[in-house]
Amino acid sequence: MLLPKFYYHEPATLEEALRLLSEMGGAARILAGGTDVLVRMKLKIDKPSHLISLQKIPGIDVIIQRENHGVTIGAAVTAAELSTNELILERFAPIGIAASRLGAPGIRNRATIGGNLVNARPAADLSPACMALDATLKLKSAKNEREVRVNDFFRGPGETLIEPNEMLVSIFVETPPPWSGGAYIKLGARKALEISMVNVAVLLTLQSQDGPIADVKIALGAVAPTPVRAFAAEEFLVGKQPSSELFKEAGAIGVGMCEPITDHRGTMEYRCLMIETLTSRALNQAYNNAINWKPLPV
Amino acid sequence: MGDYQVLNTRATRVDGPVKATGQAKYADDFKFQGMLYASILQSPLAHARILRIDTSKAKKLPGVKAVVTSKEAGLIKYGVSPARYDETLFAHDKVRYVGDEIAAVAASDPDIALEALSLIKVDYEELPAVFDMFEAMKEGAPLIHDEFPGNMNAEVHQEFGDTEAALQSCDLVVDHTFLNKRQDAAFLEPHSCVAVFENPGRLTLYTSTQVPHYVMRTVAMTLQIPVGNVRVIKPYVGGGFGPKCEATPLEMSCGLLSKITGQPVKMTYSREQVFLHSRARHQFYAEMSLGVMKDGTMVALRNKAVLDGGAYTSFGIATVYYSGSLLGGPYKLKSMKYDGYRAYTNKPACGAQRGHGGVAHRACFEQLIDITAEKLGIDPIDMRLKNIMVTGDMTVNELDMSSLGMKECIEAIRAGSGWNNKKGKLPKGKGIGMACGFFVSGAGYPIYRSDTYHSTVVIKLSEDGGVANVMTGSAEIGQGSDTAMAMIAAETLGIKLNDVRVYSGDTDYSVDLGAYSSRQTLMTGHATKEAAEDVKNQIASYLAQELNVPVASITFVDGIVKFDGGPGNFEKLRTNYIKEHRGWTDPPTGEYLTFREAARMAYLKAGTIVGTGKYKPPRLGGSYKGAAVGTSPAYGCSAQIVEVSVDLETGEITVDGMTDAHDCGLAINKTSVEGQMQGSLSMGLGECLFEEVKFDSRGRIINPSLGEYKIPTALDMPKVKSIIVESHEPNGPYGAKEVGEGAIMPTIPAILNAIYDATGVRINELPVTSERLFMAMKNKT
Amino acid sequence: MKRIIKLTINGKPVETAVSPNQTLLQFLRDDMNLTGTKHGCGLGDCGACTVILDGKAVNSCLVLAIQADNSEILTIEGLAQDGKLHPIQQSFVDKGAIQCGFCTPGMILSAKALLDQKPNPSELEIRTALSGNLCRCTGYQKIVEAIGEAAEVIRMREES
Repeated sequence: MLLPKFYYHEPATLEEALRLLSEMGGAARILAGGTDVLVRMKLKIDKPSHLISLQKIPGIDVIIQRENHGVTIGAAVTAAELSTNELILERFAPIGIAASRLGAPGIRNRATIGGNLVNARPAADLSPACMALDATLKLKSAKNEREVRVNDFFRGPGETLIEPNEMLVSIFVETPPPWSGGAYIKLGARKALEISMVNVAVLLTLQSQDGPIADVKIALGAVAPTPVRAFAAEEFLVGKQPSSELFKEAGAIGVGMCEPITDHRGTMEYRCLMIETLTSRALNQAYNNAINWKPLPV
Repeated sequence: MGDYQVLNTRATRVDGPVKATGQAKYADDFKFQGMLYASILQSPLAHARILRIDTSKAKKLPGVKAVVTSKEAGLIKYGVSPARYDETLFAHDKVRYVGDEIAAVAASDPDIALEALSLIKVDYEELPAVFDMFEAMKEGAPLIHDEFPGNMNAEVHQEFGDTEAALQSCDLVVDHTFLNKRQDAAFLEPHSCVAVFENPGRLTLYTSTQVPHYVMRTVAMTLQIPVGNVRVIKPYVGGGFGPKCEATPLEMSCGLLSKITGQPVKMTYSREQVFLHSRARHQFYAEMSLGVMKDGTMVALRNKAVLDGGAYTSFGIATVYYSGSLLGGPYKLKSMKYDGYRAYTNKPACGAQRGHGGVAHRACFEQLIDITAEKLGIDPIDMRLKNIMVTGDMTVNELDMSSLGMKECIEAIRAGSGWNNKKGKLPKGKGIGMACGFFVSGAGYPIYRSDTYHSTVVIKLSEDGGVANVMTGSAEIGQGSDTAMAMIAAETLGIKLNDVRVYSGDTDYSVDLGAYSSRQTLMTGHATKEAAEDVKNQIASYLAQELNVPVASITFVDGIVKFDGGPGNFEKLRTNYIKEHRGWTDPPTGEYLTFREAARMAYLKAGTIVGTGKYKPPRLGGSYKGAAVGTSPAYGCSAQIVEVSVDLETGEITVDGMTDAHDCGLAINKTSVEGQMQGSLSMGLGECLFEEVKFDSRGRIINPSLGEYKIPTALDMPKVKSIIVESHEPNGPYGAKEVGEGAIMPTIPAILNAIYDATGVRINELPVTSERLFMAMKNKT
Repeated sequence: MKRIIKLTINGKPVETAVSPNQTLLQFLRDDMNLTGTKHGCGLGDCGACTVILDGKAVNSCLVLAIQADNSEILTIEGLAQDGKLHPIQQSFVDKGAIQCGFCTPGMILSAKALLDQKPNPSELEIRTALSGNLCRCTGYQKIVEAIGEAAEVIRMREES
């Protein structure tokens, strides 16, 4: 498979990258892991005339803990890093698990969280995980910088509110409060190298170990043109005492938010049924993790 | 089993080290001085008349060396079976599927070749197309080939005994239907070929094929080069599984372009083109009725098949015969009726794939047996054992089970899997299922009508006496045939395996029909054994004469020569040998004469020692029409037990364990036999659970990639317990027969029977996606 | 426009010009003549082109050659030392983990990357590490066994 011709840029600083981006606008794409953009170029789905590599830019591929109140994940952090990072797995589990289910090891070693989010595939693994954790995205251009909530970020398949001259530079996630637990479930055909038919990410917070639900976020992927939050189901759950029956009901409500399509991977009908089942299952898992919450060792 | 030195061991593969180090060369790894890169223009439409092809712009593109269409290639028809030659290298009147070849380009680099393709202008008149096999057979359906009304590519009607009467006499008749999906072989190495045309008029192809011999003939015929001037060299091949069993447009195009330009020409298919070329497993629809007596005795089988052939015949005639003939065993039947139909559709042509023609019908039949057993209240294993054939039995369609360890296989898996403690005792969501199957060890007849030997082998001893060079046209495609031939030669000659070198896959070495229908172990094996015996006899005769001992007193074992089982008196020979090799660092020592000394001295007397061997099967099978398909010198067989877990809330299936027993006659190499068994199971698992080539409404493949066409990953395959059952096959070399294809036969129905056991739901359509199973469970309650 | 890249391939320094649209796979096969790295799909779906880049197994069909500037690459050709097979290669040969051999280089390098990180992997960890390397011949069983055995050989060698 041959790649079309393009100009390659390898800026040494973020500023230079942003300047290039603003000069070239829509004709350029960011090259991070390449596992998506190079595939799209080989398949002639995308024909950028410039690629701007992030390879030489320092500091964009690190995970920084923010004194216990959160974590900043550089946009070029790989899925492999996320899936093995202890802090992520302990406190931001949906992101860690979702990262571990993305593609296969060779892909995970290159694919980045920034790429996974910006490509905005409805079935992406990390999007619902970030949504369940209510992540904030930092977008930068040569002149501006702004923060958007990931929940507002997606606009449609392949579409986000990022401007052609902007780049996603980092993702900030607040540390969930005590008695929080997360889950991520992916339904696909094979056990690896899969694109989700449905995926569900959940973060559930209890008021206390045996208390009612203080807060819950449910995000669903591959069920609509963008990943979606199941707000109605969330509202339904808050304040209630957790139980399997309750989670089952929440699953049924969750389906209401979705408008899955029928494609060659699965029908709308089956997807709806699975949203219900997997939502309830993910809630159960998150709940089990929540009651086992432990302070991080110092 | 006999007392073997080399055979029946776990010898490591002769090609292991070169493959483990990346030194092994595959077709795409070859480079030649001045080599051009070629590419093929394929139809974007499923069915259209070609009005005009304009290549002028492409020809003018700098770097383009040649552009060819049917005008240059001619219209010589080819195909697999001479009875149905229905293809030309390039489409001239119309295109019949998305991917049909129209033109080819050779250029100085691959980019330019692709750009040139985009400059070829083709005017089409689009025609109505038909994609469904049942639609294609209806009156008024678009006609794909004028010569085949009703789009009926091939039709088979066979009956053995009076099936209707037999069914009426039965206590119970049970029906079942089954539908599989079009599959792709998904070998890892895409087709690739380099053609080198050299004066005076000789063409050499380095190509990724299973059948150098047939490629040589087809390319010679279509390019009108005397067959003796075409040499096909098969380098290492990255898997074939059937679809590499015929000459491809890629090979013919490279040959033609090299002939025209006088430069070497390479072409490699993209993964998408591999899917478009296809020639893989058909879609089959099966409809069956099985008549039994109350005690479980099987009496009669009525079997109907409809095959979606795609746009051309390929191997299809044999396929549609196999769907019937391969149900003749391994159970005793009094009568059997078969009606098979292969329809043309506007899709890529289907051909042969592992378990050719038999897999889907076997899946239907083995499910039907389970359904019947349940109705009768009989354990599925007992039901099968009650009807099983044994060595010496003849099927109702005259297949001679000259050896058949079917019963032993069933007993081995029953014990090996703990069936008795599990069947009927597992919780809901867990299931266990079994099935059996058998397959040919080589086809009884070549694809073209001929008295040719199916295999000839030449063994030439090196003149120093140390090495036996086995030269054969047979095709090592990963299955381990080079290793098997080396082992057979070593055993027969009584030398060490390390002292055998195999040169294979070259049509200049010998005739061999190639790697299909699981034929090489038996057929090439016979020829290898005969050639080795020839060599051995020459040396023994020399020794007998020279040392004045009876030939019968001489044996060769593990690289040494024994006389009446002892060292004998060979001083004279050793003295002469050492005299000849003064200064050499490795003079022969030890109390026995070595093979090397004997072979060297024999050479000094007679010149280069060359032995030859040959094999063709004896006349086989019945006299009825189509008896040629399914008859074989021998049949391998297998039984499998599969255990599954089903997530009852999602329909997801996990195969937890597989137990497989296969009767391969004598296992030439036990490791290779297990490798074939495990690989077959993996392909069967994929076909059962994931695999389907899907088309959109205009006949374009939706999923022509290994990301969207899903073959099992390491995480999808369970641990397999492989049990080798060894019978003695009288028609096989040292009692050996097939394992490469028969092992896939039981896999799909064993999984389906296990899913039924876990869920109470019978699935009769593949693949069993989580959705298909979940919906079936839901609709049942 | 070609650019100069400097990198280490199988322990040897290389300095050469590449085109931006050349993948690492094309560069290794076409320019470096290291044809042991195989092209199976070009889209990261099969793993046949796996090489180790700075210690990590990657699909070389989805890495630009130019991105490999300043990196260290290990291909299958660089694994055997002084004509002696690496323990993973040896156990692939011994255990019958090789059939057609087309997935083998990628499999072996994925296994190498795993064992470098985890000298004593569980069967699930081995299968997970191989889950991006498709094999159509073996059913994976003998590959998994071979890697388990190689791990043991390497551990014993390091202990002694």
